[in-house]
Amino acid sequence: MTIGRLVTLTVAAGLWLSPVLLAHHSSSAFDTGKKLVLKGTVKQWVYSNPHCFLMIEIKSDSGEVVQWVAETQAPSVIFPAGYRRDTFKPGEQVTITIEPFKDGRPFGRILQTMLADGTTLGVAGSPPSAAVPAP
Amino acid sequence: MRGMSTPFLTFAVGVPIAALGLAATLIAQSPAPGGWRNPDWNKPPITDANRKPAPRRSLVGMWGPAGGPGAGTQASGVQLRPNNGRPENQLPYTPLGLELYKSHRALEGADAVVAGRDNDPRNTCEPLGVPRYNHYNVRLTQIFQDEYKVVILYHYDNRWRVIWTDGRELPTIADGGVLIGGELREQRFFGYSVGRWVDDYTFVAQTVGTMPEDRVWLDSTGRPISDKVVVTETFRRVDHDTLVWSETIEDPKVYTKPWETMRLPMRLHDPRTDLMEYYCSPSEQDNYNKIFEGTAKGKGAQ
Repeated sequence: MTIGRLVTLTVAAGLWLSPVLLAHHSSSAFDTGKKLVLKGTVKQWVYSNPHCFLMIEIKSDSGEVVQWVAETQAPSVIFPAGYRRDTFKPGEQVTITIEPFKDGRPFGRILQTMLADGTTLGVAGSPPSAAVPAP
Repeated sequence: MRGMSTPFLTFAVGVPIAALGLAATLIAQSPAPGGWRNPDWNKPPITDANRKPAPRRSLVGMWGPAGGPGAGTQASGVQLRPNNGRPENQLPYTPLGLELYKSHRALEGADAVVAGRDNDPRNTCEPLGVPRYNHYNVRLTQIFQDEYKVVILYHYDNRWRVIWTDGRELPTIADGGVLIGGELREQRFFGYSVGRWVDDYTFVAQTVGTMPEDRVWLDSTGRPISDKVVVTETFRRVDHDTLVWSETIEDPKVYTKPWETMRLPMRLHDPRTDLMEYYCSPSEQDNYNKIFEGTAKGKGAQ
């Protein structure tokens, strides 16, 4: 299954569910252990509390652009893993590995990031050694 | 405070001289661009070879969970009794305690609800109070002391509290507050704390007069705590680099007997470590909610 098809299915499942007004959400919302690799274009990187989040746009096989929101922890928590205020810039390509929401909506929690220059950043709270440039 | 003979320690010179040796060691290990030292979570374990004796009657230092940056998070409930449904972690609720627990709609724990249906006061940036600050994202925690008091600076939400060590009495719990000199005083999120050294390496603090059960929770899984609680914390300086922070709560309003909530080993960090802010901002929280709400409605984030 391509990412595009996967995204399409995921979004369709999400639209089927009644939307819930979200507040700060639970870790139980994530499908722990499941991993999705998303490659897309950075739209916005918000470096804030209680969570930082990355919005990326992914074009599906049909040409539809789907926006995903991938969150991570607060700035002080992700700093050791190498995440900074200017880590992501709009328009740049990025590949992220996430744990998606269980309910199928296009949300997730960042497990790993690969920047356009190949730099890899690890999971929130991991030590700086996780931030190593790709060979 | 009876038995208190600690020399005056100011914020500026409060770190024992021995810590300077540790700091010198850390200089080579921890990056400090421009002198702004980042937290170092890759410390070597304490062994017989590098263990140094604890200073006498001092808690001063920057302390982080010995198990790593996430070891004090306690998102699944208090450290020693996570809310995971296991029989050994069931709590001795009174009927009121159980009723309160059921009225709390938490985002974490065995009875977690879906986002948007919760009622955790944290989500509106309410102060968490004592003892919940001890159970919520305990990360790098600074402790200062002088001859009158011990001060704890929590990382989360840049909060601080005072534990008096000058011999004053622990107030008496009363309905709606505490009695001090026969006068009814107000309830406080951090309560009224006094502490004393029971030996040269063990400091015990007690806290009363905290906020009522409709304002604060015990932990992120919605376990209750009431304004009748007596919180007893023990800080045991095991060696120079290790402090064990324990807590027992006695709250006859919601629990039928006292129970221990945490026994958290803490590791000494370089006192020059720069801490990034870790706060609860209503406007940033609101923006976060809007982003996710917008996407939830299929509109994409705004």
